[in-house]
Amino acid sequence: MMNQEETFAARLGAAVARHLGAPGALHNLQRLTGGATKTTWSFDADAGGRRLELIVQLSNAGATPVPDPTAGWGPHLNSDDDARIVMAAERAGVPAPHVHAVLDDADGLGPGYVTGRVAGETLGPRIVRDEKFAGARAVMARQCGEILAGIHKIDPREVPFLLRQDAAAQVAAYYRYVDHYGLKLPAVELGLKWAADHLPRKPRVAVLHGDFRTGNLIVGEDGVRCVLDWEIAQIGDPMQDLGWLCVKTWRFGGKRPVGGFGAREDLFAAYERASGVAVDPAHVMFWEAFGDVKWAIMCLRKGMAFSDGVEPISIEQSAIGRRIEEPLWDFLNLIEGRE
Amino acid sequence: MPTSKPDAKILLQAAMKYLEEELLPALSGYHRFQTRVTINVINTVRRELELRGAQAEAEAARLAALLGRDGPVDALNVELCARIRAGAIAADDGSLRDHVRRSLADALAINNPKWTAR
Repeated sequence: MMNQEETFAARLGAAVARHLGAPGALHNLQRLTGGATKTTWSFDADAGGRRLELIVQLSNAGATPVPDPTAGWGPHLNSDDDARIVMAAERAGVPAPHVHAVLDDADGLGPGYVTGRVAGETLGPRIVRDEKFAGARAVMARQCGEILAGIHKIDPREVPFLLRQDAAAQVAAYYRYVDHYGLKLPAVELGLKWAADHLPRKPRVAVLHGDFRTGNLIVGEDGVRCVLDWEIAQIGDPMQDLGWLCVKTWRFGGKRPVGGFGAREDLFAAYERASGVAVDPAHVMFWEAFGDVKWAIMCLRKGMAFSDGVEPISIEQSAIGRRIEEPLWDFLNLIEGRE
Repeated sequence: MPTSKPDAKILLQAAMKYLEEELLPALSGYHRFQTRVTINVINTVRRELELRGAQAEAEAARLAALLGRDGPVDALNVELCARIRAGAIAADDGSLRDHVRRSLADALAINNPKWTAR
């Protein structure tokens, strides 16, 4: 009798053979990440006369014991739609993983998809500090401006499943999370009220990545090679993506404001050249400041998800809950010009 | 707390010495990471036990001055949050900003003392 991992490997091999070509022999199967709702594996496969370097991302649908009471309050794609936005991004010329196969019922693995594996570094502290990435850091703000302009050109009609939330709708959604968990923290109230008082006027509307930041980019010595983690892609104000990339948490201790590696001027200039749209730094600053407040409330959500029964209590998530003041401190410094 | 010796501070110090100096070096991978996070969390609780009492008194005094009434910290925070949300106290009010900055600095002294030093 096969154990669980052998059963999984056998099914994955059969899926590879079915979608990508025989024999589907697997090598170097390794689990990269595993959460309550998503697992990622790295492997190589012989398929159709080639050796492919692959990643499979599986969503453990139905794995949570109870439905998430906050589901639908913010963007979150199911596995099939996640694969669709990644494919739309690749068609638009964005460096996204190449989707080789979308799994279906016959594969017996649950929802998921197989992509090519791109070599490089994703860990923030290494990207912003290691000497080997010094050359990459010099060009990454420009590259990010160009990549974001490309993402924002994706035709929304190709991805009609994306949630559309402007800044006002996001403020309302984040008040809901705060009230759901019963948080009474004046700094959070101040942050949300500040955001409500400073909403951008008549922004453009575009397809957004939603979580474009250091940590979700595969970086080589030549710079950005691939953009990962598309599962909170959404429709909204494109300046949101530029501001989020500047949020201090995502600088991982790096001194430079864009992702810990670059200058705002370089990001904005490259975005303007590639998109033909002028960037108002104050408009991006709104999204950076509101991004601090949103990340604070995301820390609350991670720390308290166990209380809904959605996830088991965990030391890692609990510790993230206690990081709530870090971005609120950064928020206050940013809006008071003390950065 | 009981009057027995050693006191809670010493118990924590002994537990941390074992975790950091003996257990952690023997671990790798998943359990090394989880143990490191566990050590951080225990240090947070240790700092909370040391610092929170005095902080809560100062917080209550600041809240009473802001709101013009006395009460337990939790009740005063409920009221301040409601006033901010309703716009009864402005988000750019100087005394509110000062209170929030001090409260954040106090909380960070417990949760992550390195953050304010950057």
